[in-house]
Amino acid sequence: MSPSPARRGRELPAPPARWRQLFGENGIQRWVFYIPVVFFVLFFAAPMTLTVVWSVFERTQFWMEPGFTLFAYDNFFTSARAENYLYSMLHAAASVLISFVIGFPIAVFIRRRVTRAAQHRVILLFILPFMISELVRVFAMRPVLGRNGVVNSVLMDLGILSEPITSILYSPLGVIIGDVMSFLPFMIFAGFLALEAVQNYVFEVCDDLGTGRVRLFTDIVLPLAAPGIFAGSVFIFVNSMGVALVPTLLGGPGAVNAGLIANQAIVALDFPLAMAISTIMIFTLVLLLYIGHRLFDLTKILEPIS
Amino acid sequence: MTESAAIAVEVVELGKNYGAVTALKSVSFSIESGQYYALLGPSGGGKTTLLRLIGGFLRPSAGHVYLHGRDVSHLPPNRRPTSMVFQNYALFPHMTVERNVAYGLKLIKVPPGDIRDRVDRMLSMVGLEGYNRRMPHELSGGQQQRVQLARSLVLERDILLLDEPLASLDAKLRKEMCLELKRIQEKVGITFIHVTHNQEEALTVADRIAIIADGELVEEGTARDVYETPNKRFTAEFIGDNNVLEGTVSHTSDTRVALDLDFAKVEIPARGAALSTGERAAFSIRSELLRITGRGEDMGASWQVVPASYVEDVYLGLTVSHLVRLPDGTEAVARVMSGDGDENRFEPGQEVAVGWPTDRARLHIA
Amino acid sequence: MYDDFASPWNIRLKWAYLLAVVFALLMPVFYTIGISFNQHGFGARIYEFTFDWYRVVLGDTLLVVSLKWTLYLALATIAATIPMALLSAKFYKRTRRKVGFVALMLSPLFVPADIMGSSLLVFFKNLARGFAWLGDALGVSWFDGWFDLGFLTAVIGQVIYTHPYAFIVILITMSRYRVQQTEAARACGATAWQAFWHVEFPQIRVGVFSSCAFVTILSFNEAVRTALLKGGFDTFSNMLVAQMLNIGMSGESYAMAGIMSIVSMLVIGTVIVYTLVRAERLERRARAMAEPVMSS
Repeated sequence: MSPSPARRGRELPAPPARWRQLFGENGIQRWVFYIPVVFFVLFFAAPMTLTVVWSVFERTQFWMEPGFTLFAYDNFFTSARAENYLYSMLHAAASVLISFVIGFPIAVFIRRRVTRAAQHRVILLFILPFMISELVRVFAMRPVLGRNGVVNSVLMDLGILSEPITSILYSPLGVIIGDVMSFLPFMIFAGFLALEAVQNYVFEVCDDLGTGRVRLFTDIVLPLAAPGIFAGSVFIFVNSMGVALVPTLLGGPGAVNAGLIANQAIVALDFPLAMAISTIMIFTLVLLLYIGHRLFDLTKILEPIS
Repeated sequence: MTESAAIAVEVVELGKNYGAVTALKSVSFSIESGQYYALLGPSGGGKTTLLRLIGGFLRPSAGHVYLHGRDVSHLPPNRRPTSMVFQNYALFPHMTVERNVAYGLKLIKVPPGDIRDRVDRMLSMVGLEGYNRRMPHELSGGQQQRVQLARSLVLERDILLLDEPLASLDAKLRKEMCLELKRIQEKVGITFIHVTHNQEEALTVADRIAIIADGELVEEGTARDVYETPNKRFTAEFIGDNNVLEGTVSHTSDTRVALDLDFAKVEIPARGAALSTGERAAFSIRSELLRITGRGEDMGASWQVVPASYVEDVYLGLTVSHLVRLPDGTEAVARVMSGDGDENRFEPGQEVAVGWPTDRARLHIA
Repeated sequence: MYDDFASPWNIRLKWAYLLAVVFALLMPVFYTIGISFNQHGFGARIYEFTFDWYRVVLGDTLLVVSLKWTLYLALATIAATIPMALLSAKFYKRTRRKVGFVALMLSPLFVPADIMGSSLLVFFKNLARGFAWLGDALGVSWFDGWFDLGFLTAVIGQVIYTHPYAFIVILITMSRYRVQQTEAARACGATAWQAFWHVEFPQIRVGVFSSCAFVTILSFNEAVRTALLKGGFDTFSNMLVAQMLNIGMSGESYAMAGIMSIVSMLVIGTVIVYTLVRAERLERRARAMAEPVMSS
């Protein structure tokens, strides 16, 4: 183990070869990490941005051609579509509110009253339904809420109802129930993640100061969880507006949302109209996120992973 | 050290910045082969950045790193003749001690039999004989650092980098490990570069010390020089327990500089500094050299004496610190060994005199 | 953590509420599965257990072919999404523009299926036309058929959809990994790839595997984007949508819904059981660490 001059530099690396410069850490290896960015700019950001351009193209019989016309927007705003869009916003807002009322207390409960080790297992309970196809879950609401469905038959067997309720399914209420059933877990995840980032001592200090239940909720829990709640709410809101499946399967004959309007436009080969609706939808989303960011600083959500 | 020892590490105008933040300004120095070299400085001063630049974990923004005379500035860590010991969490948690140590040898395809021998030899050198099958989480903090050391040394590279290797150990263990590191370095004889913010650690292990602060190399020298005769005021304030005083130059000669402290005039060895009358200058005296007496008591001709008022004494175990306040408001500390005439002779507020041997004060130009 | 001052009933009531919500979310699915095994289908007064509906579904060649396409699609999506999610997570760790990067990577979560599907559909159609035009202009046939709707476009659509989920799962697993270990491996002489493969990957393997399961399920369940982008073939979920819309609530639809949910539950169930078993093992290890081994 004594130092010998012969050993000096024995394991010195070989001088850089040409292929090493090309494939080494200064070459391709460095650029490999940009693949996801390039992919997402190309196949996500670009299509989303270009919808604005395509929405002002001229409609042809089966396709569209470059031009500038606001015909699609005119078509949207002067027909029942605009009204339907507003209605679907209303229904989406109702879904968000109901999800919050049902789901957020669960997030608080898991964070505050379940031991650290068990918290993630309880969360898993809500991942399970989320993992089953939304298609199946929405579809399943039909036999559950239908005339001969399980809700009606149980209520009638118990003697609470004398006649089955038929007004739930194929109505706005059915759509809202479908949305809540589909997206409720997201409110719980987002709320829980936001609360998980809150250090325990915050709650301990509140206990120490004797903060009341209501004040604890309004002064501590809500502000700290606000970015998470907001992110969860936006998710539920845009999906309630944009997932065509729910009104298709659960709504009545007239039930539509933004997603379904776009879908119908595609089926009718009115591509500029579909793009106009996408543009309006994306604009709504960006506006919401912008407002949310100004209010709550959404970058806080990233703290647990940074 | 022989007068013409080979240079193991040479750093030339090395700089690193992250966007607008400069971590390391232009730093140049060199380290001789086989030395135990410490980079000492406050946290955030750039010493770790410097070490990581030498190891290849960071790309320099400016300047060059030469290892054994070869420019390695743009080579990744695995292609440099260095290996590194980290502060903590650096053992591979999914491998046994044996596999951790053997990892680097496997990469260069050493035959399995040789690997086993070399691993065993290295484990016994760091005092972990028979720990082969343990998992990292079954080891104490000190043992984990020993495994790290074995993992680096087994590669028989020429330069070992240690990034705060003892910072997460408790004080007692740190002292033990310091001596152990020194012993191992003397045994293997390769160059060690050790980053620490702990001066005691640096003084224990190092042949030479470089003080790094604010991204700059403040001062560099043997451990004894840096401790006893620091050139820079920063060094005096950072290492040891020094009293730093400031005054205006009133007179200069070849060997002495006379300083006016407003409340007293003192003479300081000039140490070749070119100062002119009227300039501001600082000097320092180590606290163990300061002596407190009653006013008017004579200390001797080779002593400089200034008036002060007594503040209090603080018992520190091994030593006792006596605090005094000079007329301009600065506080000074005199340190004596406990039980060695440490009985307090003064009352708080009492007028006293403070003195030091003239030739032990050190003038600082910057 | 339990509030000692609250009555135990308070806690029990909250647990009951939580489980009731889980039950409400899952009940419709199990109810549907129940119906799928009933000889007499939905709404019948008598329940007679049978596999007949499943036999009909699995005997239908078209459906079996669609299952095959579903499998191919899922495999291709995993093959593209998981390596990319790993790259994204690594990129996130090293980039200084984290917020912008994460915003780009996660925003597909917020774009509803039909909107994203429509935009990508028009995008690919334009792209295909663009390449065809380029081929004509250059007089080569090489560009013909690029980005025509088909398997590739469907995979791209699914990658955009599943990537955010895989990215989050891998990132969370990676956040527990200490970078020093990669550096230590590099200091031992490993290349960047060796350091990743020998040291980092074994420690994030669980996250990678669960994101594989995650992506499988998402891909398997996805219907809308695929329907718009697939071109010539049908996946199982496409067939189910068609069945539900055209034929309505037939016995076959229930059996198909049953197959979809059972497959999902099997996959996720395996992952959950595995995770729990592993967590148990880690806990035992943590307990062992709490009582440190005395050095001999």
